[in-house]
Amino acid sequence: MFGSARSKLKAWIAGGIGTFAALAVGGALGMFDSLQKPVVMLEPGQPVETGPWEVRPLRAYTVDKGVYGLPLKAGEKALVFEAEMTNRTALSSKDYFTTFKSTGGTDDKPYIVLVRDSSMSPALQPGLPERMAYVWGLPAGATPPERFVLAVNGEIYKKRDNLYGVPGWYNEHVIGTVAIPVGAGPDTPDIRP
Amino acid sequence: MIQRIANIAVLLLAALLCYGMQTTKPHYADLTAPIPVYGKIGETIQARTFDIAVDKVVFARTLKFDRFGQKKLLTTGGIWAIVTARLDARDRSAMVAAATWQGPDGLNYRASERTSLAAGALPVALDPGVAGRTRLVFEILPSQAADALLLVSGKLAGPLDSEARVALGAVALQADGVPEGTIETYELSDAF
Amino acid sequence: MSIAAQPIDETGNERTPAERRWWLRSLLALIVLVPAALAVMSYEDIRELLRNRDFFAKDVAWGNKARFGGSDWQLTDLRAALGRADIPPEVVPVLVDLTVTVGETDLQSLWLSCRIMLIDGTGRRWLPTAAVSFRQTDDAMTCNSAIFSGAKGGDVLKIRETFLVPKDATATIRPAVGVASERPGFLLFQRPQN
Repeated sequence: MFGSARSKLKAWIAGGIGTFAALAVGGALGMFDSLQKPVVMLEPGQPVETGPWEVRPLRAYTVDKGVYGLPLKAGEKALVFEAEMTNRTALSSKDYFTTFKSTGGTDDKPYIVLVRDSSMSPALQPGLPERMAYVWGLPAGATPPERFVLAVNGEIYKKRDNLYGVPGWYNEHVIGTVAIPVGAGPDTPDIRP
Repeated sequence: MIQRIANIAVLLLAALLCYGMQTTKPHYADLTAPIPVYGKIGETIQARTFDIAVDKVVFARTLKFDRFGQKKLLTTGGIWAIVTARLDARDRSAMVAAATWQGPDGLNYRASERTSLAAGALPVALDPGVAGRTRLVFEILPSQAADALLLVSGKLAGPLDSEARVALGAVALQADGVPEGTIETYELSDAF
Repeated sequence: MSIAAQPIDETGNERTPAERRWWLRSLLALIVLVPAALAVMSYEDIRELLRNRDFFAKDVAWGNKARFGGSDWQLTDLRAALGRADIPPEVVPVLVDLTVTVGETDLQSLWLSCRIMLIDGTGRRWLPTAAVSFRQTDDAMTCNSAIFSGAKGGDVLKIRETFLVPKDATATIRPAVGVASERPGFLLFQRPQN
């Protein structure tokens, strides 16, 4: 009777220690995760691998007229950013809408155009590099920045996702930021590495 | 003593069995994948809702395309592959909505959206007894031209539906890497 | 008494006749229960499957009206539209005209996924085509545009759909109508008699 009570106590203590250990490990991991990681500054003109894409930021400039088939009303301005993008995956993809994010001073969502023939956000083919233009509208009266700061987002490949067990690219995260000088007009030259 | 060893052995065996089952379990994506129907260029392949027979494949460096009455020359960083095929509905009206060029390295090129306004582009609606045609345009890497498979299905995402897989055969490459017989400009005319 | 004839349970006791009787009854019950459980589990799936299919035809004689999806449906015309230069000669555009007297007005749920078809003698089915269109001179609409027309009870709607049918099928084709609220049943109209 007494022996059995003692073994019960032992089991409780062992279980308790296990629980606390698990909580401590989880908490520590969470703390590491939330630690502010230093922002990686990416060099314009240099290729960056984001997971599904290899991107090379080339140039940025402002326009006050329509560009690549996108109309612009009189008095409106837009900030154009161009990059060379290569689909690294094995399937045609247009998973590039959030690859570059403006860090402020512009409209939220850009229009994305294939420079080659001004088609609006077509799927890009595996292994074929294309020059893409991201066009952000500028709020009325805003002065365009001297250097346009963009966040470059990447994704990781999962063989099976947690919900459906299908393969794909998930967990978008910031790889780094790129600050690119803003030229005036579409004659701005590409940045050479 | 022997009892204890036996217990451990049983436990290890169970762990091994579980691991084996886990690693050999088919992927969910495979379990719900389209059901392939194989065939060759020139043959009529019978999918669940449609029949397809690929006539020919043409490679071109540029495409000429009349968009809203305005002539356009479509260029590419790779080459254009143009596939023409006959399509027939089976016993009821059907749609053919998706086509993919699968190169020998497993790279999958969806039919180009840049030519989606041309005559014969997908999706194509088919009626029983009414001959249908499609002209599929792909933008591919020249290295993916030979021994490619053409995958054609009724829906863009068609789990557990049939998918025609047409072997497009060997293609000789020129010294500059593009397939032999690649033409300079292919005109995406209304008749094809 | 052999072991096989007298099964022993896990405590080593022999089974009493009462236990044996219950064991047998349970076994027999499984023969009924297993199929019943399967039926209950797949009931929803089968219903969903039937709700998407036009399965059981309800014949409507020429000139008659039939209550379907809360309204009265009548076939008014089935005719070939010849003389189109852009259509190959072995294919015939066919126009189907239906007159519907709206009864219950909740068309958006009663007529959901409305499908007008042509069915020929061998069971082939055609859906409306978008490949050819004819200039509409009157107030005819398609089934799906009628759903959003805001029709009131008692309104008479003219519904017209265009089909592409091979010549060999034109002798036997019959128009048919299916809506989600009536599936798996559908209306199959008799061909015009005149």
